[in-house]
Amino acid sequence: MRGGSIYIERSSGLHRLHPLTKVALTALCFASAAALPGLPWLLALFVGLLLPLAIWGRLTGAFLKACLLVVGPFVLSLTIIQGFFSGGETVLFNLGRFVFTQEGLLAGLTFAARLLVALGGTLLLMQSTPQPHLMQALTERGFPPRIAYVVLTAIQIFPSFQDRAQVIMDAQQARGLELQSGLLNRARLLLPMVGPLILGSVMDVSERAMALEARAFSSPARKTSLNTLADSLLQRALRWLLALAAAALLLWRLWSALQ
Amino acid sequence: MIELKKFSYWYPGTEQSALDRVSLSIAEGEFIGIVGANGAGKSTLCYALSGFVPHFYNGETEGQHTFNGQDMASLDLGQLAGQVGLVFQNPFNQISGARFTVREEIAFGLENLGLPQNEMRARIDEALELVNIQDLAERSPFSVSGGQQQRIAIASILAMQPRVLVLDEPTSQLDPDGTRDVFTALSKLVSTRKITVILAEHKLEWLATFCDRVVALGGGKLRAEGSPQAVLSSEQMLRLGVGRTQYSEAAARLLRTKQLPVTLEQARKALK
Amino acid sequence: MNSLRKEFTTLSITLIAVGIALNLALGTVVLRLGLPLYLDSIGTVLVGALVGPWAGAATGFLSNLVWTLTGLFPQAFAWAGVAAIIGALAGVFARSGWFNSVGKAALAGIITGVLSAILSAPIATYVFGGVVGAGTDALVAAFRAAGLDALLSNVAQGTFSDPLDKLVTFVVVWSLLLALPAREKARFGNLPVSAGRPLAGKTRRPAGKAAKKTAKKAAKKSTRRR
Repeated sequence: MRGGSIYIERSSGLHRLHPLTKVALTALCFASAAALPGLPWLLALFVGLLLPLAIWGRLTGAFLKACLLVVGPFVLSLTIIQGFFSGGETVLFNLGRFVFTQEGLLAGLTFAARLLVALGGTLLLMQSTPQPHLMQALTERGFPPRIAYVVLTAIQIFPSFQDRAQVIMDAQQARGLELQSGLLNRARLLLPMVGPLILGSVMDVSERAMALEARAFSSPARKTSLNTLADSLLQRALRWLLALAAAALLLWRLWSALQ
Repeated sequence: MIELKKFSYWYPGTEQSALDRVSLSIAEGEFIGIVGANGAGKSTLCYALSGFVPHFYNGETEGQHTFNGQDMASLDLGQLAGQVGLVFQNPFNQISGARFTVREEIAFGLENLGLPQNEMRARIDEALELVNIQDLAERSPFSVSGGQQQRIAIASILAMQPRVLVLDEPTSQLDPDGTRDVFTALSKLVSTRKITVILAEHKLEWLATFCDRVVALGGGKLRAEGSPQAVLSSEQMLRLGVGRTQYSEAAARLLRTKQLPVTLEQARKALK
Repeated sequence: MNSLRKEFTTLSITLIAVGIALNLALGTVVLRLGLPLYLDSIGTVLVGALVGPWAGAATGFLSNLVWTLTGLFPQAFAWAGVAAIIGALAGVFARSGWFNSVGKAALAGIITGVLSAILSAPIATYVFGGVVGAGTDALVAAFRAAGLDALLSNVAQGTFSDPLDKLVTFVVVWSLLLALPAREKARFGNLPVSAGRPLAGKTRRPAGKAAKKTAKKAAKKSTRRR
């Protein structure tokens, strides 16, 4: 994927939720991924919470595709590694001296399901929330505005760096410097390719910083925002509830581990 | 309102001064042009007039440097930001990138100043109209042309309603279309609002039509100062590597007058 | 606290944003080249070397946050701590003059790479079930088959790729620092004098030439912007 965002614009209730409400949902997903005891519970959470949210956000297809792209490789790796190497009694098949067990398969799939819940929660948050809204919501709660600047600016300028790197690469190719001609050659081509891009961007930093100062970046005034993020009492209550649920899940997990 | 008296400046670690005993007094509402060859000190003078020298670049200064009667060194960039605006050559570097639409990008400086929302909206609409980019308001500032980006940069500064606007070769990286758009916006600005403008520029034809006064730099020193016609038509401009406007050149070949025209308007009159 | 503040001026904050953008741009372009390298920390090491350990750490940490926020690589945030340590190390190495020669820079890269492999392994093992969800998992499988446990297999896998990647990264940054004008390097203030740091002083209206000379020596960047 090119570009700096997986946000998909839709008119939906999920999109209209306050960013922090969605962050709280994601936090619950992380706590569940860490705390829920087994595969059925994890899959139930995905099907019972994340999927309906995606449907509500009119993002079903995009959400499932993103999950598959991110978690798919893990499913494959985990099935093989855990299936062969985490022991167990029930042998499903063997490859030479290595046995693939049912317990191992289950362990691998369970781990994959934990990743599905945690990363799925993250993907849904980012697909339904513009990054500036997320950062605005955070800075309004005391997150440093300078870090918000760094994050948002990096997200917006890297595609143009990417384009420039691509242009240089295409030019090299046009001059007959085949990029497919062996690992060593490709590695050696890299520096002359990216060097000017990096040096140029570092030399531009002074001007960029001055332009920021000209925009009152160092002003001692309390910052305001052009747009107000819609929030409600119900959402505030919901956020507390979600945070409590996440904390309770983690405490329960800790308690049962100590038993 | 900005005053330099025998002002000299050295960038950190350099022996050669970038500005050498420059004396210049700028009054409220003036439109001043700065000309000079590359390396003559135009950018440094722009930085000094907007306070970035000595506040952004450390280094050493000598002489007097005041803004509204206050010692420039006693002010800081946070205080100066709402009062003096600076526009640079490269449009890409001036887009903060911290906001995702043109409207929000213009708002960035106003948010930093802590303005209430109503006032921000009014100022943004006004700035968009001044530089004629209303139709770009909801676009991404990274999805537009260089000339449009430069007008966004100018609008972002204008919305902060500075009393002084300093532009350091704002069209040097633009194509002819972009250049025309930026200068059209500037001329509209001059005719509609009382604001002090300082413009460093190589494109003398444009400069001559706007400026009340022109100063010429060479080797960090102030070499000439006066009306556009007096300064830009002189032989000295050729020695300083500034060149002359195409109208002066044409007239110099055709006429034997002492005062060469520098604008199209003057050339028309002279050639009649 | 003082050194922390010195590393987060408007100038260095801008550099950090550019460093992160470089990490993402190069990381994605190199991925397309199909090299056995990531080269997604050139920005981190560069900022660490130019500005210092804190700024380097911030660049590494926030780069991984940005990988997550863009959705390009949502699991990246799990390694944000490791990325921060890489940036901090680059700052410390640069401050101690390790970027003065290509040999030392290469060695610093290898040390950083080994450390990064060791620190990354527990994350792959305990957070991701012993894999990273990429082609390199085949190596992990091979080490497991050879009898290593989960953690060691991930350390071993990491030492195959990380030291080489960081070696190339550090050498690239060394050559960039060589090409960068001394004035630019001095502006950020982490590199030692021998790497071309000119005098950085600030005086206001010294009485004359003599006063200027002494002020040059005495003055430190005291009244910088926040």
